[in-house]
Amino acid sequence: MQPEAAIQPEPAPAAKALTCPSCGGSVALRAAGYTVHVACQYCSSILDVTDPQVKLVTTYSLHMAELEIPLGTRGVLRGVEWEAIGYLQRSENGMWAWEEYLLFNPYHGYRWLVKVRGGWSLGETLTVTPDWLSYDQLGVGPETYTHFFADGEAQVDYVLGEFYWRVAVGEKVATADWVRPGAMLSREQNAHEISWTRNALLSPAEMQKAFGIQPQAKIWPPLPHQPSPWGEWLKTGAMLGALAFAFLLVFAIFFGGTSWTAAGNFPVAADGREQSVTLGPIVLPHRYQSVHLRADVPQLENGWLDLDYSLVERTTQQVYEAYGAAERYSGSDSDGPWSEGSRKAEVSIASVPVGTYDLVVEYKANRWSGVSGYADAVSWMDPANAPVVQVEVRRGAVYASNLLIALFLIAAPLLLALIWHIAFETARKSESDFATSDEDDDE
Amino acid sequence: MSLHFPCPNCGADVVFRSPALPNRVCDYCRSMLVRSDSAVAKIGEVAALPFDVSPIQIGMRGRIDDKGFEVIGRVRWAWTDGAWNEWLLLFEDGGNAWLGEAMGQFMLLWQQPIGKVRSRTMREMINGKQAIPGTEVQIDNRKLVITDARDVVCIAAEGELPFTVSTGWTLYSVDLRGRGGECATLQRDDQETTFYQGHYVTLAELAPRGLRAIEGWALPAYAA
Amino acid sequence: MSTRTFIYALWCLGVAGLFAMGAIYAWSPFAEGSRARTHAGFYGPTHK
Repeated sequence: MQPEAAIQPEPAPAAKALTCPSCGGSVALRAAGYTVHVACQYCSSILDVTDPQVKLVTTYSLHMAELEIPLGTRGVLRGVEWEAIGYLQRSENGMWAWEEYLLFNPYHGYRWLVKVRGGWSLGETLTVTPDWLSYDQLGVGPETYTHFFADGEAQVDYVLGEFYWRVAVGEKVATADWVRPGAMLSREQNAHEISWTRNALLSPAEMQKAFGIQPQAKIWPPLPHQPSPWGEWLKTGAMLGALAFAFLLVFAIFFGGTSWTAAGNFPVAADGREQSVTLGPIVLPHRYQSVHLRADVPQLENGWLDLDYSLVERTTQQVYEAYGAAERYSGSDSDGPWSEGSRKAEVSIASVPVGTYDLVVEYKANRWSGVSGYADAVSWMDPANAPVVQVEVRRGAVYASNLLIALFLIAAPLLLALIWHIAFETARKSESDFATSDEDDDE
Repeated sequence: MSLHFPCPNCGADVVFRSPALPNRVCDYCRSMLVRSDSAVAKIGEVAALPFDVSPIQIGMRGRIDDKGFEVIGRVRWAWTDGAWNEWLLLFEDGGNAWLGEAMGQFMLLWQQPIGKVRSRTMREMINGKQAIPGTEVQIDNRKLVITDARDVVCIAAEGELPFTVSTGWTLYSVDLRGRGGECATLQRDDQETTFYQGHYVTLAELAPRGLRAIEGWALPAYAA
Repeated sequence: MSTRTFIYALWCLGVAGLFAMGAIYAWSPFAEGSRARTHAGFYGPTHK
């Protein structure tokens, strides 16, 4: 083997100059050896450079367009410096036009910068053939793509700069596209070959940094390969929410209360006068707890019982009160027998501090005047019924209603994100050739 | 084991690095030379290479599949709609392979015996049938797809080569590609058919040293 | 961690904090009873 050269040779020039056979202008060839057609920047004529004798392909006398990225501009995208050397305007038979820039770096080959509806993507031609995973899904490596556009036909409307094939205005290719969040797989074919390109969506920040272009902030409907802004977050959010709720559940169980214990029974007077009874003592050991009181009046019928509870602390004489009433009515009408209300009434008193309490119950029995039937029907307060009130008490700390409120609050932002995500995805998919028929209503 | 000879046409020093590669193009007068046991004969002339901005150059070294190599030769092919380079790599164990360079993509291919090809579609192509892009073919239990098929012509060459070339030599060339980056090429002229198998590589994967410097472009980080 | 995740985590923390406060003080917006503003007289035994 020859020894490695000690002297470094002169670097090769980056560009080669040609003379345009149509207008005589000097055209710079930046990808010499690869470029097949180049459009003269002075007269727009397309030149064939596969032969040392530069041949004129078509003559134009069009005005040069003002490009967003003038040819020859360099920019650094994803760590590599690229030079824009070619520009295409393509469309679907004149509609839905989009732009493409051919980027070149001699050490990295070619890329495409594609601008569609204000969004920019970086395209790279694949060296692998995709896998057909199912009737509408393709796989390339670990990525799966879903069919989005089919039976498209792209034509070239305008050409500027250098290309590595014989580009011609009017040339057509059959197109089809598959998408995944962030990338679009495009297939183009004509009679001679099939090529696949993977177009990665570029963020506005990337385009701004690379070429100083400020792309559109909001594109609606979303681009086929635009990822839902809330879709990814929903997964993390749901995990966070589940974690928070699990924590609350554990908390609730830990702070659980006691079960019902009887506090006392007392009779109801037949004449419906105000009565009072003191039950207790009720010992509340925790710093704060809720006290739940349940009164059961088994003989209650067509009437109600007013109940005023007062929890009085023996030493401090602080009072905690609540009002509850048990009411029950029944009868029979054209629809049959009916009943309303309950013989049990439950109330809760919140934030009762530690201490020993007496439960004072002031109660009054009432009879419903609207009772149907004979006027002298027996009232529930009649001594023959021996009506009594059974009061039970239990302690608690966590209210089930609080847990539900907390759950709702935790879930609310997730629900909002879900609604927005669904709206986004519906709008995005509505552009697809495979949108379900009920989404075509507004065509 | 390099052999030096004076060029029979212009007298310049020409070197042959491998006994398996008896052909080369004289760097100075572009004569196509063949080395036999004791002498070097001129059997033709090849055209000058057109200017290009390929990052590969003769003398570049690299490493792939854990074997070091040096680029020692090139053939430039053209078809109706473009041209590309095929670089000859000489490995440190004496073997060689081709690095096809087109549109910034690289195919590393090793020649395989034509008898190894069993696929019926492929055998039909060997016998003269035209290939249809998109057709699926089984090679070594892997599915490859025909990506293009075209007539190609040799337009220039340089350095050391495993066969003689002449400007104007025409072949029918079929490229195949698989889903893991594997590729293959079948080349047929009126005398014989050759078959090559390999895979796509990136310039970075070749761990190149001695990449061609191009004005205004920074060498990539892996080659600096 | 993105800004949104951070804000949502703060939100969940806030809700959990409120919930914890509710548990410690055994309080609920739906409780029927609470401390009386005034009280009349003494109830129950006043001395042993």
